[in-house]
Amino acid sequence: MSRANPSFKVFSVLFGIVYIACFYYDWGLFKYYPITREFSYVRLPPSSGPAILWYGWLAAAAVLSAAVALAVPRKIADRMWDGLLWVVPTALLIGTLIYEKRWFL
Amino acid sequence: MIVTVLLIVHGLLAVVLLGAVTHQALAMANRPAAGGKKSFFNRFASVNAPAYVNPIIFFFVLTAIGGGLIYPQYRVDVRPVLEDLQMRSANGIFEIKEHFAAIGLGLLPAYWFYWQAPLAPEFTAVRRYLTWILAFLVWWNFLTGHVLNNIRGLLA
Repeated sequence: MSRANPSFKVFSVLFGIVYIACFYYDWGLFKYYPITREFSYVRLPPSSGPAILWYGWLAAAAVLSAAVALAVPRKIADRMWDGLLWVVPTALLIGTLIYEKRWFL
Repeated sequence: MIVTVLLIVHGLLAVVLLGAVTHQALAMANRPAAGGKKSFFNRFASVNAPAYVNPIIFFFVLTAIGGGLIYPQYRVDVRPVLEDLQMRSANGIFEIKEHFAAIGLGLLPAYWFYWQAPLAPEFTAVRRYLTWILAFLVWWNFLTGHVLNNIRGLLA
């Protein structure tokens, strides 16, 4: 099929999984404190104000997924079942909705 | 002031993205009209679907960046107010929105990969499902974004 690198497929399957894992376990690469405009690897004291974790989760998911996608040999990436590309995100979306229903109870 | 401008631009970019992804998603579901007579739905879906791939990726990323730029204002000024008002569901809607945006961003490389020319017929299904998932995410985030943006008026 396409001449494009199949690593894109691996990246996309992994990204959502790693992102949700980072969110669930709070494994962000960093936190951003908008009041003090600081990026920090560790949680800062309450005087720094609320933290934004989303940037750190995205960065962690991007870095880890890219590293694995580049490490997986092209042959293996080519042979990956293409259904994973929609089964995994669909499962993640449903799982997210189920988990986040805690806000509505 | 700058945040208000960014919020409006974010919304406008989302409108463009919504239109593009809806055209493509319906094109993937389109059946040829019987008897040559085309309905509005047929005409709406009768687009060159591959031509929408790069604009969808461009506007998805741009809209997400816009959302990321206005996020600090939400975290500092809006979220604490919602918490004070015990509006947990509003914060929940935002949480889901940010997760869906992230999952969508992660899907874009594969979406681009499967839409590369020449389009392989054996990957029609995965192209269709990826497009529909992106369309679902964009619609969800568009609607919830508007609900959040207008929440004070909606729940007044």
